[in-house]
Amino acid sequence: MNNIFTSPRSILAARHARGKFWRGVFFSSTLIGLIALAALILTILNRAAGLVVITDAVDRNSLAGRPLTELTRPELVTILQDHLTRTRLRTLERNNGPLDSLDEETLINLVMEQVVKPTIRKSYTLAETLFQRAAIEQEIAAMRAETPNLQVEFRSWLNPGFLTRSMSATPELAGVRTAVLGSLWIIAITILVAFPIGVGAAIYLEEYASENRVNRIIQTNIDNLAGVPSIVYGILGLAIFVRTLSHLTSGAVFGIQGSNGRTILSAGLTMALLILPILIINAQEAIRAVPASLRQASYGLGATRWQTIWHHVLPNALPGILTGTILAISRALGETAPLILVGASSLINKDPTGVFSFFTALPIQIYNWTARPQPEFRNIAAAAILVLLVVLLSLNSVAIVLRNRLSKRGT
Amino acid sequence: MTHETNNHYAIETRGVNLYYGNFRAVKDVDLQIVPQKITAIIGPSGCGKSTVLRSFNRMNDFVPSFRMEGEILFHGQNIYAEDVDPVMVRQRIGMVFQKPNPFPKSIYENVAWGARINGYKGNLDELVEQTLRDAALWDEVKDNLKKSGLSLSGGQQQRLCIARALAVKPEIILMDEPCSALDPIATLKIEELMRELSRQYTIIIVTHNMQQAARASDYTAFFTMDDDRAGLMVEYGETHQIFTNPRDQRTEDYITGRFG
Amino acid sequence: MPRETLDRQIHQLQDEVLLLGSMVEQALLNAVDTLKRRDISAAQKIFANDIAINEKRYALENALIIIIATQQPMARDLRLLASVLETIIELERIGDYAKGIAKVVIRLGDSTLPMPMREFSQMAEQAASMLHRALSAFINEDAAKAREIVLEDDQVDELYNKAYRAIVTTMIANPEIIDDANLLVWVAHNLERAADRVTNICERTVYIATGELFELDTDDSEETAY
Repeated sequence: MNNIFTSPRSILAARHARGKFWRGVFFSSTLIGLIALAALILTILNRAAGLVVITDAVDRNSLAGRPLTELTRPELVTILQDHLTRTRLRTLERNNGPLDSLDEETLINLVMEQVVKPTIRKSYTLAETLFQRAAIEQEIAAMRAETPNLQVEFRSWLNPGFLTRSMSATPELAGVRTAVLGSLWIIAITILVAFPIGVGAAIYLEEYASENRVNRIIQTNIDNLAGVPSIVYGILGLAIFVRTLSHLTSGAVFGIQGSNGRTILSAGLTMALLILPILIINAQEAIRAVPASLRQASYGLGATRWQTIWHHVLPNALPGILTGTILAISRALGETAPLILVGASSLINKDPTGVFSFFTALPIQIYNWTARPQPEFRNIAAAAILVLLVVLLSLNSVAIVLRNRLSKRGT
Repeated sequence: MTHETNNHYAIETRGVNLYYGNFRAVKDVDLQIVPQKITAIIGPSGCGKSTVLRSFNRMNDFVPSFRMEGEILFHGQNIYAEDVDPVMVRQRIGMVFQKPNPFPKSIYENVAWGARINGYKGNLDELVEQTLRDAALWDEVKDNLKKSGLSLSGGQQQRLCIARALAVKPEIILMDEPCSALDPIATLKIEELMRELSRQYTIIIVTHNMQQAARASDYTAFFTMDDDRAGLMVEYGETHQIFTNPRDQRTEDYITGRFG
Repeated sequence: MPRETLDRQIHQLQDEVLLLGSMVEQALLNAVDTLKRRDISAAQKIFANDIAINEKRYALENALIIIIATQQPMARDLRLLASVLETIIELERIGDYAKGIAKVVIRLGDSTLPMPMREFSQMAEQAASMLHRALSAFINEDAAKAREIVLEDDQVDELYNKAYRAIVTTMIANPEIIDDANLLVWVAHNLERAADRVTNICERTVYIATGELFELDTDDSEETAY
């Protein structure tokens, strides 16, 4: 049967070959992306957990003959008083309050920190731990021959303690609490400042601004600003918020003494500046995507411009605006350079208490830790990256849930 | 039709010229719309018929380069006068668009919204029911008022848009090719509805569909383009006259399908 | 021209109308001719031919309805098609008048009676000529020509009156031939009515051209019928 839809076999084969080739090309592009992502996550996970070898300055089990967790509070206090100088004790009491009034957990932490002073002799990556167990055992055996009171334990560097402890100079005692709180404070300021300004600017440009030279220049500049390197915003923030407006950003205007401009407020405002162009552009896109027919319908019913914007344009643009905001926040959360310029410090271990506090932030902490010589800092840097990722993802999912609920409404 | 009795007409235009920038889109339109009748505006694409329609409730104001000369009188008052609030004009002269464009809200809200923003003080539930009845949609949606307006079929959506316009209590309803996105049955339903509504309202409809103009209107205005691409009104008269015995050769050519 | 199909269909229809018209014209002339020659078999042929005229009329009417349904004509096209419908009905009626004359020929058989044959022949020729020119004006949508043709109806009316008086005179002279002579009144009447039908066609021509629909002014033919 000679069907009219049959192509000659040779043409068909060539066409199929071409189809397969391009399909392959596109598939491998996707594959490369996936591999890169997997490599990134594996590297981080590899560093974030593994076996560690610890030596105590004072053997923790020899202190009372029993594990620390079984000791009563008075016993712990006694240990502290026995092993520390009076000056040291006074400093502790000044920072934490009278020893008698502290709860058991704090006391244990103090004992570990001040008396036991565990140091990590050696840490292994997760891959080593899992696949080279025999070699590690041998090495540990050799070490144990030199130093008898060796502790070997499997340690996830990302643990509850890591989240709740603040900065410390010893990696095993360092935590990210201060940094996480700093990041959240900054992001909160950023959103509070950038979201209304960004959406407002987008509404003005889309709904009110007429088509003229000035507005075109403004639009072009906003588009270009979105591509300016973040360090430039850092310099800007340093010049304006930290220096020029230091009166305001240090809180001096509000009667707060002994501070300077290097505060959370400065950082938040700088970040707001940084994401503002992205936010405006995204919000503009979202507003532009609201069908013109909807606006016309509203105007046709005798609605004013503002009623139209408030009742129809904004509700319909909001899901898109939120998507843009998610992207902008992700960017702000991961930025390091401008924060360094406006004065983030990695040596802060006091939690931020308000917008006029000094601060550190997660990316700063990560940057700082990866730059340290001790290998253990790289472990906690990996753990901190995981924290950063989780914070990012949870902020995003809140926004996504919000967006989905908004866009479902009405349809 | 003379210029003297201006209150007699629903809308009267005097020497109207409409511009987009330097381009004159419509020139020298003198048109008198008879109240409580259906007036159809027909003509080839680009003849400015939609532009004319949109100038009747100042929807063209949103086109930045739009400019108009002449007068458009509503109750003897020029709606383009300095002290006229275009928002008020649009409350009195409603509009239904080419594509059904209900708000992405519930059916109830679609109808109630316009009344609410215009400060309607009465019972909204009653208004919604009455308006939906007037738009011949009540029986189809009365059990689903909470459902989204977008869940309706195209023809129902367009009737919802008509109901939405009615809820603001306009005197005139402008319809810009209201059936061009609808199937023939839905189209006929809208035409029947227009006939019903013309007892209370003045309806002006722009349509590409000559049969629709012939079927559904009382008066027909034929627009065409001049050599300079400016639209102009060639002939205006009772629909039966325009469609059986047009006076102008250009109308004849267009109506018999021998245009261009 | 975006309406070539419609134009083609209208032209075909007009050709067919002309064809029907010539059939009717021929029937009318033949009928009077058979009367003159008293040729009964020829009259029977005219009788049979009328069936063909009727069939053609229905075929044309059908085609016309299809054009209206499928092409949705407007304005002049609509007026033209509506007029074609009217015209083919008029043509069929004129055919019926020819048939009526043929019937008279058959009824008369070979009875000898004096006939105003000259008037009959003139009336037939005049009516046929009017019909011929009226159809031509109809196709050309020539209103002026149509108006002129209508005026000629007066001549036919005059001939009718002459023929009528002649027949009445005969009847008074020979009361025993009243039955047959009465048939001749029918012949005169049919010929006069045929011309009236032509004026109706002319009215349609004026309607196509101007869109105006009214009775064209003649010396009112209805009165002269009695």
